[in-house]
Amino acid sequence: MLDYILRRFVYTLITIFAVATILFIIFRMLPGEPTMQVISPAMDPAVQERMREAFGLNEPVWKQYMIYMKNLATLEWGRSFVSAQEVTDILGHRFWNTILLMAAGMCMTLVLGIGMGIIMAWRRNGPVDLIGTVVGLIFQAAPPFITGLLLLMVLSYRLGMFPTGGMYAPGARPDGVLDLLMTADFWHRLVLPTLTVGMYYISTPMLIMRDSMLEVLGSDYIELARAKGLKSRVIMMRHAARNALLGVVTISGIMIGFAVGGQVVVESLFSWPGMGQLMVESAAQHDYPVAQGTFLMLAILVISLNFLTDVLYSYLDPRIKITAKGLS
Amino acid sequence: MSNPQDPLLSVRNLGVVYNTSQGPVHAVSNVSFDVRENEVFGIAGESGCGKSTLIKALLRLLAENGTATADRCTYRGRALMDMDEEDFRREILWQEISMVPQSAMASFNPVHRVGDQVIESIQAHRDDSRAQAMERAAELFDVVGLEPGLLKSYPHEFSGGMRQRAMIAMALSLDPGLIIMDEPTTGLDVLVQERILRRIREIRSELKSSIILITHDIAVIAEMSDRIAIMYGGEIMEQASAIDLFENPHHPYTLGLKNAFPSITTLGTELISIPGSPPTLVGPVQSCPFAPRCPFDDAICHSANPEAKEIAEGHIVRCAHSADAARFRELAKEKSTWLS
Ligand SMILES: Nc1ncnc2c1ncn2[C@@H]1O[C@H](COP(=O)(O)OP(=O)(O)O)[C@@H](O)[C@H]1O
Ligand SMILES: [Mg+2]
Repeated sequence: MLDYILRRFVYTLITIFAVATILFIIFRMLPGEPTMQVISPAMDPAVQERMREAFGLNEPVWKQYMIYMKNLATLEWGRSFVSAQEVTDILGHRFWNTILLMAAGMCMTLVLGIGMGIIMAWRRNGPVDLIGTVVGLIFQAAPPFITGLLLLMVLSYRLGMFPTGGMYAPGARPDGVLDLLMTADFWHRLVLPTLTVGMYYISTPMLIMRDSMLEVLGSDYIELARAKGLKSRVIMMRHAARNALLGVVTISGIMIGFAVGGQVVVESLFSWPGMGQLMVESAAQHDYPVAQGTFLMLAILVISLNFLTDVLYSYLDPRIKITAKGLS
Repeated sequence: MSNPQDPLLSVRNLGVVYNTSQGPVHAVSNVSFDVRENEVFGIAGESGCGKSTLIKALLRLLAENGTATADRCTYRGRALMDMDEEDFRREILWQEISMVPQSAMASFNPVHRVGDQVIESIQAHRDDSRAQAMERAAELFDVVGLEPGLLKSYPHEFSGGMRQRAMIAMALSLDPGLIIMDEPTTGLDVLVQERILRRIREIRSELKSSIILITHDIAVIAEMSDRIAIMYGGEIMEQASAIDLFENPHHPYTLGLKNAFPSITTLGTELISIPGSPPTLVGPVQSCPFAPRCPFDDAICHSANPEAKEIAEGHIVRCAHSADAARFRELAKEKSTWLS
């Protein structure tokens, strides 16, 4: 299994490398002169030239690429054109904010979705199954900006039950992640964006879990488990749910990828100071270093989560070892 | 209540109907048989004749669309069908009647260790600690000729033969009164089959359990069983002691089956298979189910389903023309009889 994980890890690194390269190409193909923000055309042409040299913009493209890769690896991600802050510093804050919101959303999605899926399969064609399917599909059909707006309109503006956005009250910026987690206000503000994310994605694990459960329940080992006189709860959890989980783990890698994308919408909607919001802001302000860093960071996040999914899968399915041996 | 002469398992007029979109499928009809203490009762018949359905009905494992009815179905005097779900699970399943399923390959859960799956069947019925149960499992593995160290393996690390042995070990775990083996050697290669059968024979001589041995291979059943039932179209066509059935077969289907499988005595003679295919079992049967494929059929066979007749002590035949058996036996040896 270690073998397998190691190989997946190498693939992960290669993927990140490929994404970084694509980013390099895209940012050089973008219309407009990215340096306009810094090197004003109004400056003395000689000064402009010297600045170009300082930025390495006179070098041939392949050399620029080498410098770019070296800087990425050494975490020299440049400074914001707008605030002159280090990109890595900006991302450092934003990263955790995004992770907190995503973790809350995905936990709700997976825990609730898997639990519902088990119940729906257990009592298939019963009321829970029917309502779950219909509600799940309706939630899935409604894009997050619609659900989010509705939640905001009703629960925040109309009923005043929740703040309209942000992670903390204005001026109450906490010192670190831990401090933040200690404030009740933070959890209060987390509810609506989490609901928005959760509602949109819950149908995926729920319906997949339900269907894999039903498939597993028809298998020979379930029949034997029944013949062994095991309690139905044990059959459902230890045999059926445990195996059906494999299907959900496979799909959650993909789902989390989409969820990172959805993060952009949710963060903008709820003024959540995460990477999604940062991406929109920096793109609007032509803050190329920040935009580039955010893109890369989000990509690394998706790729790493996929890697973790693979590791989890190989832990849950002992047959993976064989596959790994077969590959090597 | 049970007394020593009573059969271990007694079944009268068991029927199973599957509800399907094509209408009701009568997978098992009018099945009556007894399994005595300490015997091997063989059930043979082509695929699809209802063998698995029959045992699933006994163990309450029928698919959701299946319903079983019976005039009697008792195990050591207890009416199985009247038992409460929870009592049946705790007191009968595995504890009294265990099984070796038809597909040992697919009957282990791929994500749990084989040993854990063996002890799970022990711990579901006894208060054994994990260590005690493991010790018992190791003992059982030894009995079926598997290294106890293999308990730590996952099912995919086992060959087909090893899985089958592990299944047998598991079926033995609680010293049940009855072990049902559904085609325990189907799908294994011949050498492995032979080894598994030898192992079953060995275990049998040391064991107090009775065995219901199901197979579509009449040669296997012949050498293993004390008494045999031949099934066709969901019904038992002929039932007798192994010796009677082979020396004095009565039903044309039994004759056909014997022709279709090689055995020591027929070695060198040509194998003849019965033309045609088994009935679909949709809708109720108004005639002998074998009549469409029977070389000796006449109008009577097609007008009514014959009653089962006891033609000798313990020898039961369901054929309108069982009196003509001697003539059928001679004719059945000719290939032309079956092809016309
Ligand atoms: N769940 C089911 N629904 C409908 N028909 C079934 C079902 N299970 C089995 N059957 C039918 O019942 C008949 C007997 O099947 P089975 O008991 O598996 O036979 P065997 O074990 O002798 O091969 C077959 O015709 C089969 O197609
Ligand atoms: Mg079968």
